[in-house]
Amino acid sequence: MDQSGAEEAAIHRHPPEHSSIPSGENSVWSDVSPLLEAACRELRDGELIHGDNFNLFAAMSALEIMDPKMDSGIVCKYYSIDEAVENGVAPVPISSDKTIDVQCTIDIMDHLLACEATWHNGHSLAQTVFSCIYLLRPDRTSSHAILHSYCRVIRATCKAVVSVVSDARTHEEEDLFTMAYGLPLHGDGDEKCLSMLNAVEETIYRQLRACKATSSKKRVSEDIEPLQHNLDLEEGFCKALLCRIRFPFFPCSYLYEKTSRKRLGAFGTCEDGVEERTTASGRAPIGFDASLNSRSSAPTPPRAIKILSWEKAVQYFLKLLHDLDIVCSYSLDPSLEGVLRFVVQFQKSKPDLIARAHLQLLLVQDGKLYGRDPIFAVITKAAALPEVTKNHDIQKNEYIVQLGQLVINMLKILCTNAAWQRRKLGKILQDWRVIYVQLEIAFRNEFGSVSSISDDENICVKIFKHILNWVEEQTYWIASRYLMLGFELDLYSPNEYCMVYWYMYVVLIKLAEKTHLRISVSSGTAKKKGKKKKDSSKEVAKESRIPLPVLFLQCHLCLAEGLSMMLAALRNELMVLQSPSPFNTEHERFIQHFELLQKACVPDNISYLSFKESTTYTRFSTLVMYNYFKNAQRIAKEIKSSFSDDPDRLAEVRRLEQVAEHNGVALNVICRVGALDPSLKRRRRPNQSQNSKLIFGRLFFGLSPDFLIPPNPSLSLSLSLHFSSRIL
Amino acid sequence: MEPNKEERQQQQEAAQKAEFDPSEIEYVIYGGEHHLPLIMNLVDQELSEPYSIFTYRYFVYLWPNLSFLAFHRGKCVGTVVCKMGEHRTTYRGYIAMLVVINSYRGRGIATELVTRSIKVMMESGCEEVTLEAEVTNKGALALYGRLGFIRAKRLFRYYLNGVDAFRLKLLFPIPEINPVLSMIAESDEIHTHDQIPQQECQELQQGS
Repeated sequence: MDQSGAEEAAIHRHPPEHSSIPSGENSVWSDVSPLLEAACRELRDGELIHGDNFNLFAAMSALEIMDPKMDSGIVCKYYSIDEAVENGVAPVPISSDKTIDVQCTIDIMDHLLACEATWHNGHSLAQTVFSCIYLLRPDRTSSHAILHSYCRVIRATCKAVVSVVSDARTHEEEDLFTMAYGLPLHGDGDEKCLSMLNAVEETIYRQLRACKATSSKKRVSEDIEPLQHNLDLEEGFCKALLCRIRFPFFPCSYLYEKTSRKRLGAFGTCEDGVEERTTASGRAPIGFDASLNSRSSAPTPPRAIKILSWEKAVQYFLKLLHDLDIVCSYSLDPSLEGVLRFVVQFQKSKPDLIARAHLQLLLVQDGKLYGRDPIFAVITKAAALPEVTKNHDIQKNEYIVQLGQLVINMLKILCTNAAWQRRKLGKILQDWRVIYVQLEIAFRNEFGSVSSISDDENICVKIFKHILNWVEEQTYWIASRYLMLGFELDLYSPNEYCMVYWYMYVVLIKLAEKTHLRISVSSGTAKKKGKKKKDSSKEVAKESRIPLPVLFLQCHLCLAEGLSMMLAALRNELMVLQSPSPFNTEHERFIQHFELLQKACVPDNISYLSFKESTTYTRFSTLVMYNYFKNAQRIAKEIKSSFSDDPDRLAEVRRLEQVAEHNGVALNVICRVGALDPSLKRRRRPNQSQNSKLIFGRLFFGLSPDFLIPPNPSLSLSLSLHFSSRIL
Repeated sequence: MEPNKEERQQQQEAAQKAEFDPSEIEYVIYGGEHHLPLIMNLVDQELSEPYSIFTYRYFVYLWPNLSFLAFHRGKCVGTVVCKMGEHRTTYRGYIAMLVVINSYRGRGIATELVTRSIKVMMESGCEEVTLEAEVTNKGALALYGRLGFIRAKRLFRYYLNGVDAFRLKLLFPIPEINPVLSMIAESDEIHTHDQIPQQECQELQQGS
């Protein structure tokens, strides 16, 4: 490089005219373009000048200056908010014509709502809500009561939402969400925003009454200045403003307006592309510029953000309000089992971040359930320990304290999105396993061998035993949730269903076992259980006394086993769903899918080998013999009546019953196909095998989602029909 | 003049299917700067995400042996760009970009390209191979599924367009237990009735 030229270039300084960052004491702005140009002349293709700590990887995150897609410092239109304001981008009042001013205010409100929904859906606050210049300069709007109060409420809402989400913070989903670098989230006097909004609402309501009275030629009781001067539009405008102001509190008013939107639309230009519009009128709002804030949206380069349409924004908020309503009306069930069921049920409707954050804050506060119940008391109840345990010194045991922390972590994780939830559940399985082992060791150290002490001898022994069993039960519950979420997230492909259902089956066996033990111990029948085992007549009597939660699990268990065995039989006898791959085998796929379960020994002594042992020789005759689906159906029928007061669980049992029934039918059909066309049982008849592959492939898609997600009866039916027509 | 609907359809069909025999496709390992514009054009053309030249150089300068190009009569019609290295406790390969131009898709070019890279990774001692694909990219998911990849994780709103991604993983067998060579021999048979995906591209997220 030409050294002197470069130096000369470097000395040649041009203070930038519009720099928003002033020079410091020891620094000055200088134009490096000549230096760069001189350097570039010396470089050939593929060469790079770099320091020791700058490698190719670092180069990858280089920003290309002056590329609008990457350079967040690039000036788009205005250098600063002030400059935009000076150029009349966000006038106050918006128009000197009051009618137009009201129209424009409504557009701004609509667009802000769309921006807020877009922010909630994962885009930066700076480039959505705070693209509104009125929001960025809180003082400017003070003469415009409606706009001013609405902006204050929006700012306050954003602040409140950021605070809820940051308090509930569990993972990176919130990082971008809560980032508010230098944005004026808090304006002086924002705490009074609700009373201001109330006053505005009151005024508009009076204006509405006044204009209604005028139109019906009644006497006007008060002397009220109208909202604007076009009397034909007065009522519509008043209503439009009222429902916007009231929306968060009375969503139905917004719905009302959706139906009367056409009338409002008449004032704007009616164009195509309603679904794209961010305002009800379809006009572009005044006073927004997303580029002004792009420097605040770091660390990611600015991105062109597509603001959600007004329709979608309203839909989003209606769903949010519905979800929040569920959270608010939840009865604070004191049992952990109830809490878990509620959270799992709530998550089925795929609530968004804000609703999930609220749920989490409701469940866990100050390390207590609902900020109310000490976690040890919750564990005591969940593990069916005697009441006295609540105040027992054992809660000071370090492992018991850790266990409490694990329960809290689990609750928090269950409130996150399904993808993240599954990853974290997989990881905490190990923690639960470790705490079990530590508790067991602590228990042994303190009390010696379990068998040498009778239960009554020491309350501590009892507590430890119960807790150990409960820790295991909870571990298997987490494992089953982990496996189930894999379906929801579409992580399994059809040729893996067999092993997934099989693993689910082995986990459910353990879960049912632990649950049964807990329930029978708590009802005092545990001791009798062993003695009566050989008495077959009493065995039947005992069968009928199997607790409901255990029967429920057994129903799941039969289905999982049945599905796994049916898939294995299909593979073994009809050679479908085999998946040879060039680089690895089913064994590696098994290791990968169940890695976290295996690491945590959930369950013990389960490996690919045990999977192969239980499925390699499965035939359709085995399935017919064991009647998995019929058993599942029978149990479902049996327990249905017990859930008559719980519609969610009743629906779940009904689904299980349906799935069992459909698969029972499917199994019969498959067996008959096999009998009618023995060639199907032989391998390598390409056409036949292709056909059966097609049929069975489709059949499975009907099976798997049925098991977890609301069933699709029409699909199942069409599959059966499709199937029968092939046989005929 | 704007072509009418029928003509447009015919043109599209012609564009969709290039006529060629698979044996005419020539596969070439990355050979230097002269290949770089070809790769960049292809990726820019077919993938939505714009990558800076630094991103391409990062990959092809450090792992030229893992990048391949497919040519048909001198025209570059597909490419794969990868890397490998330590990741936590494992040595893993990573498929960064895989592209085949639209009219050449569905004929096994992407499978061949990516298979070549994976073989090099395996020979270089990688224990596993990983990549991300959009959950909506059925073609890519099917392709990798046939190669033995599992969907290990779902990544919530991974791409800037808000779409989730799957992290796909391929675990190689531990050589002592399962001799790899015998399986590759077996695989030839499978490839003969391979069903080819419609779309075979997947994207790399910037800065990951």
